[in-house]
Amino acid sequence: MDLPASLASTLMRPPATSNGPTAAFPFGLGASGVHELAEASFGDMAALTGFALAAAPRKAKGAVFWITQNRLSLEHGHLLQGGANLYRPACPAYVSVYPRQLCDALWIIEEAVRSSAVSLVVAEIEDADFTASRRLALASGRHGVPVILLMPYTRQGATAASARWRVGPRPSARNLFDPHAPGHARWHVELERSRQVPHLAGRCFDVSFNDETLSLSMAPGLAAGSAAPHAPSHEIRDGQTTRRSA
Amino acid sequence: MKSGTGKPHVAAPKPRQPFVLLESGAAGLNVVAANAPARAQGITFGLKFTDARARLPSLASEDIDRAADAAALTTLAKWMIRYTPLIALDGIDGLMLETTGCAHLHGGEAEMAARMTARLSEDGITHTIGLAGTPGAASALARGAQISGPNILPNGDEQAGLADLPVTALRLSSESTALLRRFGLTRIGQLYGIDRKALARRFRSVRHADAVLLRLDQALGLRVEPLDPLRPPPAYSARLPCPEPIASTDGVLEGLRRVTDTLCADLAALGQGARLFAFHAFRSDGTASSIEVSAARPVRSARHILRLFHEKIDAIDPGFGIDLLLIQARRTGPMTETAMALSGDLATSDTDEIALSALADRISAKLGETAITLHQPAHSHVPERRERRIIYDGKLAPPIAHQPSMGPRPLRLLDPPEPVTVLAEVPDGPPLSFVWRRIPRKVARADGPERIAPEWWKLEEKGARARDYYRVEDQSGRRYWLYRDGLYDDGRGGPPIWHVHGLFA
Repeated sequence: MDLPASLASTLMRPPATSNGPTAAFPFGLGASGVHELAEASFGDMAALTGFALAAAPRKAKGAVFWITQNRLSLEHGHLLQGGANLYRPACPAYVSVYPRQLCDALWIIEEAVRSSAVSLVVAEIEDADFTASRRLALASGRHGVPVILLMPYTRQGATAASARWRVGPRPSARNLFDPHAPGHARWHVELERSRQVPHLAGRCFDVSFNDETLSLSMAPGLAAGSAAPHAPSHEIRDGQTTRRSA
Repeated sequence: MKSGTGKPHVAAPKPRQPFVLLESGAAGLNVVAANAPARAQGITFGLKFTDARARLPSLASEDIDRAADAAALTTLAKWMIRYTPLIALDGIDGLMLETTGCAHLHGGEAEMAARMTARLSEDGITHTIGLAGTPGAASALARGAQISGPNILPNGDEQAGLADLPVTALRLSSESTALLRRFGLTRIGQLYGIDRKALARRFRSVRHADAVLLRLDQALGLRVEPLDPLRPPPAYSARLPCPEPIASTDGVLEGLRRVTDTLCADLAALGQGARLFAFHAFRSDGTASSIEVSAARPVRSARHILRLFHEKIDAIDPGFGIDLLLIQARRTGPMTETAMALSGDLATSDTDEIALSALADRISAKLGETAITLHQPAHSHVPERRERRIIYDGKLAPPIAHQPSMGPRPLRLLDPPEPVTVLAEVPDGPPLSFVWRRIPRKVARADGPERIAPEWWKLEEKGARARDYYRVEDQSGRRYWLYRDGLYDDGRGGPPIWHVHGLFA
C-alpha cells in the first residue's frame, strides 16, 4: 500500500541470476532458509497458511512435511488438503505430525530438514527462542530444505531466521461474476525483519492470489480497501436490501 | 526335540524354618506351598492350615500373592531367553524351554543344565530341571523326580524313564489324581498296560478320562504338544556374551553396535529385511531390560537401526552389570536393494519413499507409532469425513484431488465445528452478523449456499440434518465457512443452528 508503483514492479520482476531467488518478492520465502510468518492479530492463522502456500515455489519433487503443535490445531483448525490443493495442485504428498510439546516440534523440524525426502517443511509452533531459530537456520542452510514457521501474533524478539513476515487478511478482490461474493484472497504483508534485503525491512505489501492462474501479485494500493461492493454495510444494516437484489 | 522345565519356588525368608504359603479356601485356610523343612514334617500342598499348625506349632506362614508370583515367573522367563528364544509358561510354577538346537551353544545338554542350576541357585531360586524329548516328559521329570539334580532323559526312553514317576507328575487335575489313586494307580508305569478303553470307562466323565490319556500321550510323544511361547520366536538374532559385565552406557552402545552389525550382515546375506527389532540386555543379577524399535518398511541398514535405538537407549539400565546382549529381528520379509534412478525424471515416484520412511521411523521412535499421519481421501461428501487421517505405514496416500462438483473448500477445518450466535438472521442467506468466539463479526460479502445432505445410510449420521454452507467474508477481510445445520421447516428438531466449520485464507 505504501509502496510506489515503480518499486513494486521492480520487486515483482523475475529474479536476477546473480542474487538467486532471494532478490525479488517474496525474497526466498519457501525457497531457501527459515522464514517466520507471524499473525498480525489473533485468528489470522488461515491467512498465514494461505500466504505461505501461495508464496512458496511449487516444486513437484519431495513431500511437504506439515508440523502442527496440537494446541494450535485445536485453536485454528487443521490443514484441509482439499483446500490446500487449490494453492498447490500438483503437490505430491502432505505428511502431517501433531506433536504436543514445542521441543518435540522443533526436533521434528530439524529431523525433517535433514531428510532427503522432504522438499518443504511448514511448522505451526507457538514460539522459538533465538538458539532454536539459529539451529534451524543452520540446518536449513546446510541441507537446502526451506522451512516456513507459522507463529501466533505474540511472536516478537530476536530471531536468526532469514525474515519475519507479519500477515493479516485484507478484504478480498472484486469478484467479477458476483459483486456480493468474496473474490481472490488478499493479504496485508509486512516484512518485519530481513537478512536478505535489510533495506526493505518494515515495508508493507498488499498481495493478492489468483487461484486460477496460481499467481501472487501486488494488489493495487488503492484497490485494497475498495474492492468490497459499493455501500454494502448500510444496506445490510438497514435490512432493506436482500443479498441478491443488486 | 528336547524340552526342559525348571520349577522355581518363591524363596522363603527363613529357609531353615518350616514355612508355608496360605490361601483361603471354602473351608478355611489351606496350605498351597511349603518349603523343604515343612515338607519333611509331612506338611504338603492341600493340607488345612489348622492341621498343619497342629502338627508343627512353630510353623511360619504367609498369605500367597499370586499376582506377584506370576510377575516374578514372567520376569524369570524373560531372563531365560538367554538360553533359548522359545519359552512358555508352564502352569503357575513352571517354565518350558524349547532347547532343540540350543544345547550345543552351552556345551551340551548336561553342561547347559548344570549352568542353569548354577545360575538359578546363585539367585536363590530353588528349582528342578527336567530335560526330555517331549514337553510332557520333561514336565513330569521336573515335577516327579526324587533326585534334585538335572534329570536328563535321552530321546526315545520316555516310556522307561517315566515308569517310576508318580501320576501326580502328569499335570492332572486333583480329581483325576484322586480317582487314579483310588484305583491303585500311583505310578505312571502302571498306566501303560491298561487297555485305553477300559481306563476311559472307569472315569465318571469323558473329560476326565480324556485329560489323563492326553497327558499320558503327550508325555510319551504319541501326541504333539505345541508350545505357546511367551514371545513370538524371532526370525533372526545375534548375541554377544560379555566376559566381564558391562556397567556403563557407553559399553552398552558399543555392544549394540556390534550385535547390530552382525545381524544386518546376516540379513543382507539372506536378502531379508525386518520391521521390528528388539534389543535385550541380560543383567548378571537375573533380570533383563529390553527395548524395541519398529520401521515402516523392512530395513537392514545398521546405521538406521542404531539411530532408532539411540532414542530409547536410556531405558537400558546396566544395574550391577550386563553379561549378555541379544538383538532379534521380527516381522521379516524379503527386501531388495534398488538402485537410485539416474535422473529425477526416471524415478517412479516424486518422493524418495525410502528416505521418507527412515524419517518417519526416527520420529515414531521418539513420539510413538501413531505420530506420522497422512490425509487420505475417503468416500464421503461430508467435509469432516472427506479426508481421513491414517497412520503412515511406508506408503504414501494418493493425493486428494479437489472435485470441481464441490464448492470451494477452506484451507483450515475446525474439528469439531464451532456453533456461533447469530445476531441478524435472514431467511434464505447467511446471517448479516454473528458472534464467534465472543467477537461480533459483520458480514460484508457472502457466497452460497452449497447444500450438503446427510449421509442417511450411515449409522453415525442418524438424525443428522442437511447443511447449507456459505463462504462469508467479514468487514476486516477474514473469510469463514459458515453453515446452517438444518433447514427452517425440516421437522428434525428445533430451529437450525449456525456453525463455523472452516477458515479460508
